[in-house]
Amino acid sequence: MHIDSVPDRATLVEMYRKMTLIKQNDEQARKVIMNGRLPMIYYSPRGQEVIPSAVSVNLTTDDYICTIYRGTHDMLAKGVPLDELWAELAGRATGTCKGKGGPMHITHPASGCMLTTGIVGSSMPIANGLALASQVKGDGRVTVAYFGDGASNIGAFHEALNMAAVWKLPVVFVCQNNRYGEHTRYEKTTAARQIADRAVGYQMPGVRVDGNDPLAMHAAARTAIERARAGEGPTLIEAMTFRFHGHVFGDMDPYMDKDEKSAAMAADPVPRYRAWLIEQGHASEAELADMERGLGQQIAQAIEKALAAPWPDVSELHKDVLAA
Amino acid sequence: MSVQVCLPKIGFSMSEGNLSEWLVADGATVAEGQALYALESDKSVQDVESPAAGTIKIIAAAGTSYPVGAVLAEIS
Amino acid sequence: MTSEAKNMNTVVALNTALAEAMELDSGVIVFGEDVADPEDGGVAYVTKGLSTRFGDARVRSTPISEQAIAGAAIGAAMAGMRPVAEIMMMNFSTVAMDMLFNHAAKLRFMSGGQTRVPITIRMATGTGLSTAGQHADYLEAWFAHAAGLKVVTYANPADAYGLLLSCIFDDDPCIFIENFLSYGQSGPAPVPGQRVPIGVAAVTRPGRDVTVVTYGPQVAPALKVAEKLAGEGVQVEVIDLRTISPWDKQTVLASVARTGRAVISHEAVRAFGVGAEIAATLQEELWGTLKAPVRRVGAPSCPVPYSRPLELAFAPGEAQVEAAIRATLG
Repeated sequence: MHIDSVPDRATLVEMYRKMTLIKQNDEQARKVIMNGRLPMIYYSPRGQEVIPSAVSVNLTTDDYICTIYRGTHDMLAKGVPLDELWAELAGRATGTCKGKGGPMHITHPASGCMLTTGIVGSSMPIANGLALASQVKGDGRVTVAYFGDGASNIGAFHEALNMAAVWKLPVVFVCQNNRYGEHTRYEKTTAARQIADRAVGYQMPGVRVDGNDPLAMHAAARTAIERARAGEGPTLIEAMTFRFHGHVFGDMDPYMDKDEKSAAMAADPVPRYRAWLIEQGHASEAELADMERGLGQQIAQAIEKALAAPWPDVSELHKDVLAA
Repeated sequence: MSVQVCLPKIGFSMSEGNLSEWLVADGATVAEGQALYALESDKSVQDVESPAAGTIKIIAAAGTSYPVGAVLAEIS
Repeated sequence: MTSEAKNMNTVVALNTALAEAMELDSGVIVFGEDVADPEDGGVAYVTKGLSTRFGDARVRSTPISEQAIAGAAIGAAMAGMRPVAEIMMMNFSTVAMDMLFNHAAKLRFMSGGQTRVPITIRMATGTGLSTAGQHADYLEAWFAHAAGLKVVTYANPADAYGLLLSCIFDDDPCIFIENFLSYGQSGPAPVPGQRVPIGVAAVTRPGRDVTVVTYGPQVAPALKVAEKLAGEGVQVEVIDLRTISPWDKQTVLASVARTGRAVISHEAVRAFGVGAEIAATLQEELWGTLKAPVRRVGAPSCPVPYSRPLELAFAPGEAQVEAAIRATLG
């Protein structure tokens, strides 16, 4: 794809900050689970850091995202704070959702993270609704719906894309194609040469991009977000990527092609981008090492704080079911 | 200050796992990240790494199933 | 009530409520299949005139996409609007069950109170038009079983108007159930602007001997039976729940505590229906006071049949309600 211009230095470094935050958060998450300190169902986003990092630098705090259970990267890139995120993962009263939603339902309206859903495909119809409100109100907000390749086969995908196109909603559909829907390969389940092809059926632009290439992902996201904000309607972005740690953490992914997996891990986009930033003179080793250290500490502190935080009171069962 | 080694949840529906074998001896000096024991769930067998460096005091028995969260050893 | 009391048709009552809500609050938006005026203003004309008056940004005919319709309502509500989405017939809500059960009902709780879903989903159903098994089911028990949803239905035009207004301005997701045959019926017009509170039943006819708890299309037969039995000296109290969930336990319990006898009547299938929940509550709370076992009237456990005599036999009516009342009188 043709990339008109490289983003400015601040944006380039910010993308790396988000990526390394996600990567380190994942590493610490897997460690705290394996140590038995936090029994949690965890869908690792490791390997998919670039996509939301590149999308998010094109969004404002007011813009909305809807994501799914493999969404920690999307949430962190959008700005969900570490302390409240970890407290929610740990089921504590100080979590984003007072411990009542957990990892699959992280919600943080202040950063625009309006929905995390545990149901494949359900981010899209609801993203349409957020976009519909923006359209009626004329507030200029854009909504990003994140979902996986598996979700492109569910009915809600087709209903949502069709409606978004017909109504020209300010929504961007970002499909993170990591080539596996749960344990089953894309080729076995999807009757589309590529998911981006499905956009033609809904008369919207369909863009396939290397989701692990920060510049390409940034350019694709920027075009789609600007298009939505200008009232020109939705875009389907198919961002190619790979997940390093199975469907759900603990899954040893015996169903994966070993060579494909090791090649993907060898091409880890985060250290690759780091090296590129330094080589191109956009950042120094010291600056990035310092940033990484700081983020690592913040994550570690957030985890300890979460594990020491109080549990929600049993009376919470009866709160927030209906309005007071 | 000792660090507890607890049985992790490594599967969606996992509620217990089998500590199939210890990979270190009781009283051994272990490094952070060193493989301590083999954990068998219904889906896989994995080596579980040490969360800390120090001397390990083994509490749980090999060949036994424990619930998720059970304290298997302490490192100090 | 004088002979000059003004009557209003149910469709007009619903239409009036929608127009008033849209006038009151620019956040009220209406969408569903065929609801806009170029498409005739709704399959039963409930939304007629709205798109002409309020524009096609706020009133939209949608694709046939119940998941997308429900999802759009949920998302728009989360962003601060008050969407009134129509699912043309209650049976079609099954296509949107994920949106309604996994999302609308649960998002307030799962978000710890951070996001709200103040949607109204209108859906119509009911027997009597030979529409058969997939176009006539009453599914209110399914919705009532989902913590986080409110379920409402009317038995007359004034309540249709008042309940719809209440649902639209309620901060929780409301399932507003309409009845096909009710569209052709008229009744006393509502007092303009008068909302019917959610969760409050109406004692439509007071009586001292037996309580009939009912809602929707079963209210009229209950009243007819009550009139008939009054001639035999039996006073039947008829309570129209109006809100199925959360139901007005206080009014119902107070009534049955006085009468000692209860019949619950609904058009929905009897087995595992709303009547079962109410009957269980009555025997838990009023065991020593009840003079007879609580009776339930509902449809048999089969899909709504097509053939006219079968459909008429399927829907409970005066005969079944009368038999149930007599059974409590022993």
